[in-house]
Amino acid sequence: MIFYEIKKTVSRTGGRIALGLLLFTLAVSCFLAVRVYYVNEEGAREYGYSAVQKLRAAQKEWAGVLDEERLQAAFQENIRIRHSPEALSEDITENNIAFSRLQGIFEIRSLINESYAEGFRSYDYYLADRLTSVNAADFYQNRVRLLREWLETDAKDQFTEAEKAWLIRQYEELDTPFFYDYVKGWRRAMEYFPTLVMLAVMILGYLVAGIFSCEYQSKAEAVFFASAYGRSRAVSAKVKAGLLTVTGIYWALAGCYSAFVLAFLGADGASCPVQADRGGWKCFYHLTMGQAYVLVLLGGYLGCLFLSGLTMLVSAKTRSSVAAVMVPFGAVFLPSFLSFIQHPLMNHILVLLPNRLLDMGSTLGYFYLYPVGGQLHGAVPLLLILYTALSLVLYPMQYVEYRRLSKK
Amino acid sequence: MLLEVTELTKAFRDTMAVDHISCTLGNGVYGLLGVNGAGKTTFMRMLCTLLLPDSGAIRWEGSDIFSMGGAYRKLLGYLPQDFGYYPDFTIQDYLLYIASIKGLRPAYAKKHAEQLLQQVGLWDIRKQKMKKLSGGMKRRAGIAQAMLNDPQILILDEPTAGLDPRERIRFRNLISEIADKRLVLLSTHIVSDIEYIAGEILLMKDGKLTLTGTTQELTASMPEQVWRCTVQREQLDHYLQHYQVSNIRNTADGVELRILSASCPMAEAVPEPATLEDVFLYHFGEKAGADHDIL
Repeated sequence: MIFYEIKKTVSRTGGRIALGLLLFTLAVSCFLAVRVYYVNEEGAREYGYSAVQKLRAAQKEWAGVLDEERLQAAFQENIRIRHSPEALSEDITENNIAFSRLQGIFEIRSLINESYAEGFRSYDYYLADRLTSVNAADFYQNRVRLLREWLETDAKDQFTEAEKAWLIRQYEELDTPFFYDYVKGWRRAMEYFPTLVMLAVMILGYLVAGIFSCEYQSKAEAVFFASAYGRSRAVSAKVKAGLLTVTGIYWALAGCYSAFVLAFLGADGASCPVQADRGGWKCFYHLTMGQAYVLVLLGGYLGCLFLSGLTMLVSAKTRSSVAAVMVPFGAVFLPSFLSFIQHPLMNHILVLLPNRLLDMGSTLGYFYLYPVGGQLHGAVPLLLILYTALSLVLYPMQYVEYRRLSKK
Repeated sequence: MLLEVTELTKAFRDTMAVDHISCTLGNGVYGLLGVNGAGKTTFMRMLCTLLLPDSGAIRWEGSDIFSMGGAYRKLLGYLPQDFGYYPDFTIQDYLLYIASIKGLRPAYAKKHAEQLLQQVGLWDIRKQKMKKLSGGMKRRAGIAQAMLNDPQILILDEPTAGLDPRERIRFRNLISEIADKRLVLLSTHIVSDIEYIAGEILLMKDGKLTLTGTTQELTASMPEQVWRCTVQREQLDHYLQHYQVSNIRNTADGVELRILSASCPMAEAVPEPATLEDVFLYHFGEKAGADHDIL
């Protein structure tokens, strides 16, 4: 039964086109994610696997515990390169040659820009070039200091005292000095995955939208409901087919994407904290790059599972694929319109909408706290718990709802 | 094995679709005859547990069919009037899927589907997609799906609608072949479809069973006589206005009419034995001609 239910879904011309589109998106996402360049000694850009290897080798030279000594060395190296004749030249090719030497420390330089910034929300790309000296001992403390200053000034009304204390504690509890490594593979994989998963959720929605309504659209419901299992196992086969379709396609997609991107760019730095990358420097969650990526994958799966489940429920309730297929579109695009309403409560709600699951990498950076059970939590654990629970309810609801339709 | 229907009633808003129907059906072929809108489909959908009655009961071997649920539907084969299918499935896939939701074991389903495909003449095109089949082929696939579980109760709602004469004859023969040792209820508004194969005919009008019996019983019960006479063309309107005319045929001498009348319509009129078509016309009057393919 499940086999035939899945066959009904994918044997349609529209289903095949949707799967083709998904494969095309996967190919484009993989291509964009691994399109990393390396500037060679002549100042020219190189692309491809060899370029990745060169960049990796350059950054690997600086891998290790990011202590005062390594920071000071990286800072001095940046100064040396920036004051080299190539860097000071008016000629772009000469500048590119200087940049070529900078690539090994580029990520550490970005972290310096973050740590020694003027404010918590500011970022100056050239800050490391302007600084004449840094007190490397302040590198990690600056992160906490900037947060504290921000909470006392710009964000003083955004958080309660308890929330402020909780955030500061989270920052202070980060194990420092942390290990730094080349993390390009993880970062790029996280960067391009949301685009893929957002399209996947819409295509999955399209595929599963017809699981229940197809009986009515093809006028086959009379034979279906008049059969021995038409109100029991055959309905549960539809629910299972939806679950399997979503699970199978999502993990095949996520698996292919992750395997390709990480194999191409390298999976080094899985145990580095997310704060070791510029994008995660301000993150208050204590996660490694590998853990963060697993979270991104799980969030995407949960998002697909929930939105597809909702799509199927609408399909079962309305008997219309058109109404059902609007669910994932609405879930992805509606929050963008709602975000125009600037209100603290609205912002807290928006971060808990299912579209945030599809971009868990960004959600990790949101500073929204929720008091639950006497404790403060970030949005990420709440999203995972909330949508797991809702998904667990949604699928049995489809069964009940569709069975109800059989009796008039 | 008896299917007992007692005071069955179903209304849709102000329309009484099925109005206190009672009957008992055993093995054999039953023809449910009535014009469009007589309530045939509503009655059959209730027999298939697809509609809940407002009042009354349907019992199979003494048990309420709605309480029996899946156990009752295991005995049931149903071909709806508006027969739907999955357009991208092949005929074979379609039958195997229906077999699975009917609870047939895969090995048995495969074997039985093969037999049925051969019986309905679709074996050679079993790999063809359903959407590419002609109307007649789809109906044959429909009867095959209804027969998959070797049902004790086979309900066929307007199975010959839209078929050409050759397909209709083929279909009638097919139903006669499979009708052995089971209850077959066949609804139609085409008299000739059931005249040949139905053992008993149920005449349904405005939601009620107005008459039941064999063809002979029904024709014998008709209080009016059937007359054949030839009139001049200019007289035709007069006879159409004053009598129920079941047939008009142009001849060299004028127009030959088949008239239903208790009294002799004209001196030259010759009495004729009544047919089921005459009974149908008698009971349904003008409504009987509402559909061009009615007789």
